[in-house]
Amino acid sequence: MSAALLPAVAAKPSGAAADLLRIVTINEQIKRVVGVSFKINIMALNAIFLAKRAGTAALGFGVLSNELRVFSRDLRNCMEALTGLIHDCVNEVSISLRNGRQDRLLAEVGQAGAAAALLGRVLQQRAAERDGHVRRLAALRRQLKRALDDAFQMVELGGVLAKSAKIEAAYGQSFAPSLAQVSGEFDGIVEEIRGSLEALRRSPFFAAH
Amino acid sequence: MKTTRTLFQDGDHKWLAIVRDPDKPGYLIDTNEYLITHGERGLLLDPGGAEIFPAVFSALSAEFDPSALTGIFASHQDPDICSSLALWLEFNPGMRCYVSWLWASFLPHFGGTGDTFVAIPDEGMEIPVDGLMLQAIPAHYLHASGNFHLYDKLARLLFSGDVGAALLPPGRDGLFVEDFDAHIRHAEAFHKRWMGSNEAKRQWCERVSGMAIDMLCPQHGAIYTGRDVERFINWFAELPVGITGG
Ligand SMILES: [Fe+2]
Ligand SMILES: [Fe+2]
Repeated sequence: MSAALLPAVAAKPSGAAADLLRIVTINEQIKRVVGVSFKINIMALNAIFLAKRAGTAALGFGVLSNELRVFSRDLRNCMEALTGLIHDCVNEVSISLRNGRQDRLLAEVGQAGAAAALLGRVLQQRAAERDGHVRRLAALRRQLKRALDDAFQMVELGGVLAKSAKIEAAYGQSFAPSLAQVSGEFDGIVEEIRGSLEALRRSPFFAAH
Repeated sequence: MKTTRTLFQDGDHKWLAIVRDPDKPGYLIDTNEYLITHGERGLLLDPGGAEIFPAVFSALSAEFDPSALTGIFASHQDPDICSSLALWLEFNPGMRCYVSWLWASFLPHFGGTGDTFVAIPDEGMEIPVDGLMLQAIPAHYLHASGNFHLYDKLARLLFSGDVGAALLPPGRDGLFVEDFDAHIRHAEAFHKRWMGSNEAKRQWCERVSGMAIDMLCPQHGAIYTGRDVERFINWFAELPVGITGG
């Protein structure tokens, strides 16, 4: 889902609210990559059968198809881990949003009279908790960034596999045209994933902090 | 900021009303909060919505140490009753919240933990405040399906939640009902629409007409005193409720 598809908001959200919108965008992108990796898995299965039919003419292609299948599984696992991290981020940001509202209300307490010292202690404790949440979100942000970089590396490898399959397809004799078509589709899909991941890495969720 | 008014005092036994905030935005319904203190402790009745917490807290703490609050009584589950719960708990995390068993697992969405809530059974119960025994009086379906009022038989005061509530026009913000007939016009539509059951209403009227009540203190509008308490009960007994568009 592109940012343009997100629900329209009257004012530009800031802080935690902006983070939440960014996380939603990242999550939608991850869901797309997961969907595509399922597609690669099915394509790889078909390619393996095709290579079997082509026999010795497509041995190299068959090996690469197997590798691509492993790649699609690894990519899905990687995306699952990312989804888990996203879930943790949503959790942290939601707490920050709720606490932010409560902090605003507590800050509006004017003359607390005899309770001033008590209010001071509560505010101090909340500030410490807020620092904790900020630190945890920063750590999650870094973890998410690292996981995305790992996924990107994996996709680079997938790209190499797809391109090698394209080369191998040329040796497929009478099967060459269908092998070329399959490997071309592989390549297209891996490029699509690369594009998605590149967009994710550029998300302001990572840049803003 | 809201103002506090003393409704009753006998030594360290006290009822405070926390009312009328000139700074409150008009889109929030106006509410009355009540504090019962006895000895060193206090019980806050229907502490109000989160948005009015600053006004209620400031007014209350001018008179009473909020860390000495031992409990919150929630007549029912509405947001104007207790969406401020999480904020009050900041000042005393051990505080208990008394509410109908119906809502004991709903209110934690406003704050608190499994230890916070004391579920009031349908027949009511006694609620202690430093030795003073208050009574949770059943008022189910008036308007919430699990609903309680709180009676202090020593002070002869009844906190009546949404029963007796009036949506007063701007400028009519006296704390006590002065002209019953003029006042009750502002209560009629509210009771017809918000109160759900004529049978429940009949039972409630019967129950409270047998109690000694000097003041009937609703969560919205003005407080009924003296003869107006009986007038209100009679008026309510006659009023058909559970009516839309009427
Ligand atoms: Fe209500
Ligand atoms: Fe109410």
